Amino acid sequence: MRASFEPRLAKHTLVTFSFIVRNPQYIIVSQFLSLSSRMALTDISLLKGEPFDAPTNTSPRNASAYKPLHTFELPKGTEKQYSQQYADMYFVRLAQLKNAVKQKAAEAWDDFELGGEKAKYVERVLDVRQGELCWVVGTVYMEMSLKPNVLDDISKEHWIAAPPPRETYVNPSGQDDMMLEDESGRLRITGETVSSHYVTGCILAALGTEQADGSFQVVATTYADLPKQPERWDGENPNPKKPKSKASKMAIVSGLGITGTEDDDLTLDLLVEYLTGEALGPQDQAEALQLNRLVIAGNSLSHSSPILSREDFAAKKSQKKNYGYDASSYNASPAEKLDAFLSQILPTIPITILPGNTDPANVALPQQPLHPALFPQSRAYVIPPSQSKDTLEGFDAVTNPWDGYIEGWRILGASGQTVEDLLRYVDDVDPLEAMEMMLRWRCIAPTAPDTLSCYPFQEDDPLLLKVCPHVYFAGNMNKFDRKVVEGPAGEKVLLISVPKFKETGQVVLVDMESLEVELVEIGVVAPGS
Amino acid sequence: MSSEVDYKEYLAARLLAENHPVTYRLLSRAVKTHVNKAKQMLYEFHKIQNAKKPQSIHATYLVTGRKRTLKHTNGLNGKDGEDAVMQDSPFPSSVPEPQEPPEEPIPTTSIVLVREEELEKTKAEFSDITSIHIYSLESGAIEDLGILTLCNAEVPAQSKNDDPLELWQLYGCIHNPYIKRRTPKSSITASKSSSKPTAQPAAKSQQPSASAAPAASKPSNTKPSATAPAKATLKRSDSSKSNASKKGPHAGDIFKSFAKAKPPKPKETATPSATDDSPMAGMSEDEGSDSEPDRSTTQVDEAKAAAAREEKEARQEELRKMMEEDLVMEDAAASTSPQDTADMDEASQDTPAATPLDTQKKDEPKPVETVVTEGGRRRGKRRVTKRKKVKDADGYLVTKEESVWESFSEDEKPPEPKKPKPAAFSTAKGGKKGGVAKGQGSIASFFKKA
Repeated sequence: MRASFEPRLAKHTLVTFSFIVRNPQYIIVSQFLSLSSRMALTDISLLKGEPFDAPTNTSPRNASAYKPLHTFELPKGTEKQYSQQYADMYFVRLAQLKNAVKQKAAEAWDDFELGGEKAKYVERVLDVRQGELCWVVGTVYMEMSLKPNVLDDISKEHWIAAPPPRETYVNPSGQDDMMLEDESGRLRITGETVSSHYVTGCILAALGTEQADGSFQVVATTYADLPKQPERWDGENPNPKKPKSKASKMAIVSGLGITGTEDDDLTLDLLVEYLTGEALGPQDQAEALQLNRLVIAGNSLSHSSPILSREDFAAKKSQKKNYGYDASSYNASPAEKLDAFLSQILPTIPITILPGNTDPANVALPQQPLHPALFPQSRAYVIPPSQSKDTLEGFDAVTNPWDGYIEGWRILGASGQTVEDLLRYVDDVDPLEAMEMMLRWRCIAPTAPDTLSCYPFQEDDPLLLKVCPHVYFAGNMNKFDRKVVEGPAGEKVLLISVPKFKETGQVVLVDMESLEVELVEIGVVAPGS
Repeated sequence: MSSEVDYKEYLAARLLAENHPVTYRLLSRAVKTHVNKAKQMLYEFHKIQNAKKPQSIHATYLVTGRKRTLKHTNGLNGKDGEDAVMQDSPFPSSVPEPQEPPEEPIPTTSIVLVREEELEKTKAEFSDITSIHIYSLESGAIEDLGILTLCNAEVPAQSKNDDPLELWQLYGCIHNPYIKRRTPKSSITASKSSSKPTAQPAAKSQQPSASAAPAASKPSNTKPSATAPAKATLKRSDSSKSNASKKGPHAGDIFKSFAKAKPPKPKETATPSATDDSPMAGMSEDEGSDSEPDRSTTQVDEAKAAAAREEKEARQEELRKMMEEDLVMEDAAASTSPQDTADMDEASQDTPAATPLDTQKKDEPKPVETVVTEGGRRRGKRRVTKRKKVKDADGYLVTKEESVWESFSEDEKPPEPKKPKPAAFSTAKGGKKGGVAKGQGSIASFFKKA
């Protein structure tokens, strides 16, 4: 047995062949998964002693076809300014989406008649006449009594502490108002069907009549719906790669929640071993071989946001008072753990990492990439900016939200704040529905800047969706879920809510050929259970 | 392959002698073999040892496959999901559209780490097991699987010098030929880290000398090494060790105040020391002079050496007397040992000296540790090297351990997570070394006090 081990002398098939010849006692289930992942799957048990089996040589991992886009990168240095007014963002959004929404509404309502009256389009919300059937386009604004309000915050400066973060902004007594506004003014919207399904910031067209009390009774609403979706591989324009038939998968994980203590490390170790193909038997190792990119969707560290949570703040305040920055209070161990974690995986699989709301990145969307200084070991796998703008294979720290092309598919990812915040506006909506609505409204962070902090964009708002992705994932959700939604022109988008790894131990795998989704669940059986 | 013989030795030493757990990854790094082979090695060892003596070795298993019912896999998530619904909606009953059930169950691969006690129960939950192997061996049933992370933490250290991109050849990780790694950058960080620990001993040696009367401590240190040519090598280990551990035993009481006050300073003083401060230079020469005497002592004739020895003995006797008067807290063993250390060989010293010092040493690691957290990166590194040294001394190889400590200080970059067991050892081991170094240490401490 030992003698028959000829490492890496022959192609894989040859090794397998000689193995069979010399060891007829082993049944070889040799199976070629695909052209590229050539690997003999043997049912060699690892629960077996001497003589040891000659370790099979796995074929190398495939290259990851990867093209990150820099849609959400903010200008650097002094070009990044915060003196602008947020109102401009709403105007930009309205201006950019008005035509699309108008077009949709015209298609739907041009022939609409109610009581012999034909609906007609009104340019500005203030031009709506009482009793006239018409439709207008505007931005939704939700007036909700429980919604955090900056004016309240200022007027109640003497609060001992900020109010706790709210689970929902919906007032249970149902006194929330919905408004439709454009540059001319606001219109109060009434109507049973609509009020609970829109959030501040989405652009929509509303059909109805103005009532005697000045409110606008809505009969129907419509939105822009999915934008145009490129074909697969379309995004690789400068040198279009031909679709190769190779099995490849993308792994998405979020909410690693590294604390620097030793509680959660074992599942992380298992995750490392799974991704590097060390754990498990040959068959499962071959499966792990198909992975060719790991995406970490935010919250890799659990308490590292520059802005402390309410609890952390209270805990810190109760300690001694320090003026200025206290270097000794900085605990580097979570970041070191994360760096060690990444640097163990990086030799075998490229990583894309998004920041999340507990990561040490800026708080306002779009969050900028995690700084390389956090990763003294892992940053060796980053191609220096002087050579190339993008690290296609290796360690790529990107923005949140992020978009780009992986294996020819257009991917849009976020680490969950947008979805979380949107869900506070509405009842009975699950994350996937929220994600779907964002795509249909063509705004992936409608509630920013109202209740979600956001950079004050002026000329253009990257948070508006201009191209429909094939895959849209949101990290740090409570549970895994997935859904395929279809657009008006046959666009198909796979929506994935990625659960927190720390709580569920789940990693989402997306087959990049079929866009099928599967899960890997890593767990430890507690002793004595 | 030699690894197939080695592994038994390694496992026996680690499991049976040291009582540390071993994971398959650590074994594969230790004996440099493929991970899958390491898994089988663990199985073999487990089988043989338990055949010899049942229940002597305990195992954990990694089971992979599909869980029996989807319900079960959803059970985990279901809990979270329900909670979420409760939070988001006060009226779960009024969900307008019932959530569409997924068209097909999501294929879920479960990877579960389980102790051998729960193995059968866990296996029953699986409908299809695609692989199962031993994850780790322990010398007894473990209550907290978290201890295995300490074991895993040693893995990167084991293969530190290897190019991470070449590990696949040896250990069978998945090979990715497309990944590039910038080496120059990493080598800079490596050299940085290596230079820091080496600077540390110098700083250490300066601490006693700077505070003590340097003129007196210098001759007492350099002369013995000049007089005893045969002991040149011993001396070398002695002097450097004493420098390293000087703060150890004695700092506990006398130097505590110094140790606390000092840490911020040495960082700055360490570099310019060689030039601006002559007593410091003399002290740091202490290490350098070890090699010089090697050459010079061959030329020194016996008469001179004898005279020097007498002079030194007289001086030490004098010092000892003063010390007995002043340092009441120094116990008898500590105060009598000084002149012995110079003349007798250290080996005999080890055992008697160790015992009294153990008590002193015990509260010692703590202060140094606090220095770690407060003092920034450099201090942290010093701790690490110290611990490494200690751990290697488990085999009672005191002289060997010296070199191990050196080399580890070269490579050691990231601070190791705290390990409870080694820490326990450190008290005993450090005490031994303190015993060796006692002669000089106590002299220095005397001057320090003055």
